Order: sequence, then structure tokens, then C-alpha cells
Amino acid sequence: MLEIKNLHANVDGREILKGLDLTVPTGEVHAIMGPNGSGKSTLANVLAGKEDYEVTEGSVTFKGEDLLAMDATERAVAGVFLAFQYPMEIPGVATMTFLRSAVNAVRKARGEEELSTPDFLRVVKEKAKGLKIDVDMLRRPLNVGFSGGEKKRNEILQMALLEPSLCVLDETDSGLDIDAVRIVADGVNALRSPERSMLVITHYQRLLNYIVPDRVHVLSAGRVARSGGPELALELEKSGYAEYGEASAA
Amino acid sequence: MDLPVQQFRTKAEQELLDLYTKAANALPGANNPFVAALRDKAIKTYGSLGLPHRRIEAWKYTDLRARIDEAHLLIASLGAAVDDAALETALGKSISAFPAYRLVLVEGELRVDLSDMAGLREAGAEVMSLAHVLEMPPEWLKATLGQVNPREDDAVLALNTALMTGGVALRLPEGVTLDKPVHLIHLDGTGVPATMVTRNVIVAEEGASATVLESYGSLGLSGLQRNTVTEVKVGDKAAIQHVKFQREAADALHLGVWLANLGADARYNAFQLSTGASLARNQLYVRFDGEGSATDVSGAILLRGKQHCDTTLIVEHRVPACESRELFKAVLDNEARGIFQGKIIVSPGAQKTDGKQMAQALLLSETAEFDSKPELEIFADDVVCGHGATSGQIDEDLLFYLESRGLPEEQARALLIQAFVGEAFEQVEDEALREAFSAAAAEWLGVSAEEE
Repeated sequence: MLEIKNLHANVDGREILKGLDLTVPTGEVHAIMGPNGSGKSTLANVLAGKEDYEVTEGSVTFKGEDLLAMDATERAVAGVFLAFQYPMEIPGVATMTFLRSAVNAVRKARGEEELSTPDFLRVVKEKAKGLKIDVDMLRRPLNVGFSGGEKKRNEILQMALLEPSLCVLDETDSGLDIDAVRIVADGVNALRSPERSMLVITHYQRLLNYIVPDRVHVLSAGRVARSGGPELALELEKSGYAEYGEASAA
Repeated sequence: MDLPVQQFRTKAEQELLDLYTKAANALPGANNPFVAALRDKAIKTYGSLGLPHRRIEAWKYTDLRARIDEAHLLIASLGAAVDDAALETALGKSISAFPAYRLVLVEGELRVDLSDMAGLREAGAEVMSLAHVLEMPPEWLKATLGQVNPREDDAVLALNTALMTGGVALRLPEGVTLDKPVHLIHLDGTGVPATMVTRNVIVAEEGASATVLESYGSLGLSGLQRNTVTEVKVGDKAAIQHVKFQREAADALHLGVWLANLGADARYNAFQLSTGASLARNQLYVRFDGEGSATDVSGAILLRGKQHCDTTLIVEHRVPACESRELFKAVLDNEARGIFQGKIIVSPGAQKTDGKQMAQALLLSETAEFDSKPELEIFADDVVCGHGATSGQIDEDLLFYLESRGLPEEQARALLIQAFVGEAFEQVEDEALREAFSAAAAEWLGVSAEEE
């Protein structure tokens, strides 16, 4: 599904990723852990195609294609989804309008029929229910006045609606209380399937109690320092990131 | 050494004076002493002021004297053919089909055949063609015309009073509430360059309420110079929602003045959306004469190419305990230029005044320009007044968020622009009108409107 080789990337002229290698086979869930500044969020943004992240070396292959050659829209259409650490607030755009625009844009680009309004509403209501999202919330402007938990649940709702093949979750648990983590994790687990891969980025082991990964990778100074099974996360919980060095910036 | 004082006039300035001399006898109301005196006084005011130019502070961004090089007053309509299809071409689908009591002015002439005068009268309003009624104005009109928040220093207004040829006089008697909006459509003809001078008068008596939409469109390119003035007298406990949509031809010059006076416990909400004309100047003057009243004067401009739109407003708090709000949004592409000048005046004794204004611009190109000049003149000590202005480009982080959800860049940009102006449309109370404006904005952007 995803093959990253020797990836180097700069932000504002500073090298953050320094030769990262990572392979995520189809149907697997991999966790990316690591201290602040190790490059976790940079990896997420590079995969989603944010322009101010400059790739200087290396390759990213997604379903056999060169991901780095695609712009952000093309990546979304091809099946990459990034659940943002800080979802954007857009006053003046109703959440429902945004969701329908996104779903239909992706369907159109994939050569599928656009959903009619009643069909779309039916699908949204069904998926929102599973995430305990009140339909009234979807009538409000996108993420404006949403609590931290509501924003993250809204991200997972978008993920469910767009049916991506690769889900990248960037610190989806940050700022959430334990009940909210559980709701979000249930939503993510419901989307696990043999055709879908996931990259779960988190600072804490807590989320991985609910989303149990197939593999865990520890990032340090822009590279994968260590990989292992789910037990690696538990080990980190006890020992901390001291041996991986706390870098200074995110 | 004594030098004779000789006032320099440009060719167009002189032509406008000559027009009056030549046309005075043919103008509506020429034989009525009240109207003739009003016009005479106004042309003298204009004669002493001349056309406004950039050395006059209120006109520093819009030099009318440099822009107007000739004048052709159109007194009689040329009888342009107008049907629904022509209306749709001129105003766009959403506005032309807006459900309302329609009053259509073509080349300044109120076209009874295209207007719903009967429906409006049945709903309780008094409505007349201004051209007709100037021949023998009723008392209520005499007590209003030229007297709503008059501004002696405004040459555009003075020219309008001197040369007004047509328009609508609308009176809402005490307690009358119209069940649907009045839509005052102004269309100019094709082919002939013309200076169109129209005047509307709206009087809402105690407790009356209505929504009045004024729209301005062109049937073709014609070198139009429009001068339009609307006077609105809002009586005690009356409420007027006054909305304008201007999308005149690309070569048009649009000068629009709204004058409003508010009685006690009255509401006047004005909103203007401008997408047309090569040069437009919208002036709004609102004055509180009675306590406990409120106004919201807001608007949006969507410009591209070399379009220039100047919105200048003055809200004058003469009495205590009134509230004013202004929110202006400008979307400017290419080399377009948007100007917002907003002044709040709080007179001595107008305590407990609450006035706030905000102007925001979204610049879609490096060469677009937005000038904002907020002014507060406060002569009372127990007031809350504030203003703000921002100018920026499309937020790249928001754009990335939308693109990462599969929206193509163009669609994502359009959505963000719609969201930006949409906030201003929130000031329009009438929901159907709000939707018509959103659709008009979508039309301007070249995207299909989202149906909910």
C-alpha cells in the first residue's frame, strides 16, 4: 500500500525528515510514535501533500504510484486521508455543505455518480450516528465553536464518508478525555478492513489500547529508530522517549 | 494686486450646468413652484461645488472630475423593449426572478406595463411615478423631497436634485406591513450614451415596515452615467430593510446616494452588493433623530478587471441610546480597487451610543488594492464605539484542508470566497434575499449555487 524510501523533507529550510524508510502493507495498522520534534506531524503533512513541506530526497509509492507527483486533491482522490491534529475552522461554510462538496468531488473524480441530496443525507446520518455526532452539529459552520472532541469526531466522519485506502491519523487523541478517545477509536476500528491501511501517529500509548496496531515504529530525529510489535508501545510507556532524544521543535 | 476670482470648470462640469439651463423647462415639475425652487437651489449648490475631485477629503480615492468628461442627459426614455429574458440577462437569474412587488424603471421611466402597482396598492402602499407626481406633489412628498438628511456639501446629490427625471415615490401609511418585498428595478437602455438621473422617495410612517430591494442592471454597453438617489424617512417604530444589488455594464459609471432619517424606536437596515460598473461610488448617510433606534449598514463588493468601487458612509448619532453596525466585505481580483470610508459621528449629548464598524478585504491578486478609512467623531463621553479593518489573501491552510478532502483548487477557492462574503450576507434579514445574494455571488464566481 505505502512504501517510503529514504525520505528527506524540509520545513522553512530546516531538514526535519532525514532519510525515513517505512512500509505499510495493505490491511495493516501501523503506529508512529516518538518524542516531540521527531518529525511525526511533518510525515503526516508530507503524505497529504502540504505545499510548504519540501521533499528534497527519497520516494513515496502509494498503490504502486508516485505519491509525491500528485497534488493534495489528487492524493485525496487516490485514497489518502489525513485526519488533522488541528482541524480548520471555516466560518461561513456549513459542515453539511462541506461534507457533500467533498464526497461529490471525490466521487466525481473517481468516475462515480454524485450522490443525490436524500441519498447523501441518509449516508451522513447513518455514519454520524455511529460516531455519536448530533445532526444539528452538522448544520453549524465547519468546526466553528466545536469542542476538541467534536472536531476529532468530525474528522473521523469525513474519513468514513470518503472511504480512503490509507488513513493517516495525526495525534487524533491529543486534547481528548478518555471517553472521547474511546468514541474516536471505535469509529476508527469500524473502518479497519483488509483493503485499508492506517498510519496512527501518537505521542502516547493510550490510544493504542483502543486501536491495536500491527506494527509500532519509533521516530527519532527524522528517521525510524526502531520497529516492533504492539508490545513496543507498552515498553515506551514505561521507559519514555529519553533514549530517543527529545528534539527542540515539532 | 487684486486678481479676479475665476472659477475653473472642466468641459463636463460646464456641460452639466448648460444641460440644466437648456433642459429646465422640459424637466418634470418645471411648472410647479416648489419643484422649480428646489432645482434652482440645487443647481446653484452644484455650480459652486463643481464635480468632486481628489483634493476633497471625502473623495480622495475617487476623482470624479477626472473621470467624467462629458454628459448627455436623457430626459425622455427611448422606449427600450424589456421582457423577462432581458431582465434575467441584466440582473442574473436569482435577482431577476426574486418574488416581490416589482416596479421597473427603464431609462428612468416607470414602466406601468412591467410593474405591479395594483398589487402594491392593494397591500396598503401609496405608489407613484416620481416624474408624474412632481407636476403636482402631494403634501407628504413636499415635506420629504430634498429634506431627508440633506447634505449641502454633496455635488452628486445636488446634481440629482437639479436634474432628476424619474423614479418612484412610495409611502407606507401608519401601521402598514408589506407581505413581500418591493423590488425596484433600474435598467438602462442600449446603444446611446446617457446620463440617467433618477430619484426615489420612501416614507414609512409610524409602525410601518417593508423590505425594499433596488437593483441596477444594463441591457447592453452604453456609456451609462447613473446618478441615483433614494431618500428614506423611517418614522417612529417603523422598520425598513433597504437592499441594493448593482451589476451594471462594464463601462458604466454608477453614483448612488442613500439618505435616511430615523425616528424613535425605528430600524433601518441597509445592505448593498456591488459587482458591476467600471466605477461606482455608493454613499450612505444615516441620521438618528429619535431615541432607541438602530441601524445596520453593511455590504459586499466583488470586483475584477480594473473595476473601482468606493463605499462612503456617515452614520450620525444626534440623540442618545441608538445603535449602529457596519460590516463591509470586499473581494478584489486582478487590478480592482475597493474603498471603504466609514464615519461615525456622535453629537454632544448623544450618550449611550453604541457604534461599531468593520471592513474586511480578500485580495485575490497582487495588484488588487483596498483602501479603508474609518473615522470616529465623538463629542459625548458615555459611548461605546469601535472600528476595525483587515486585508488579506486566501488562507493557504484552509485551502489545504479543503483540497485534502478532494476538492479541486478552484472549487476550494470559490468555497472560501463564498464563505468570506457570506458573513456579510448574514446582515440581510430576509432569508430569500440572502439566498438570492449567495446565488449572485456564486454566479460572479462562475460556480453553480449549492442547493440545500
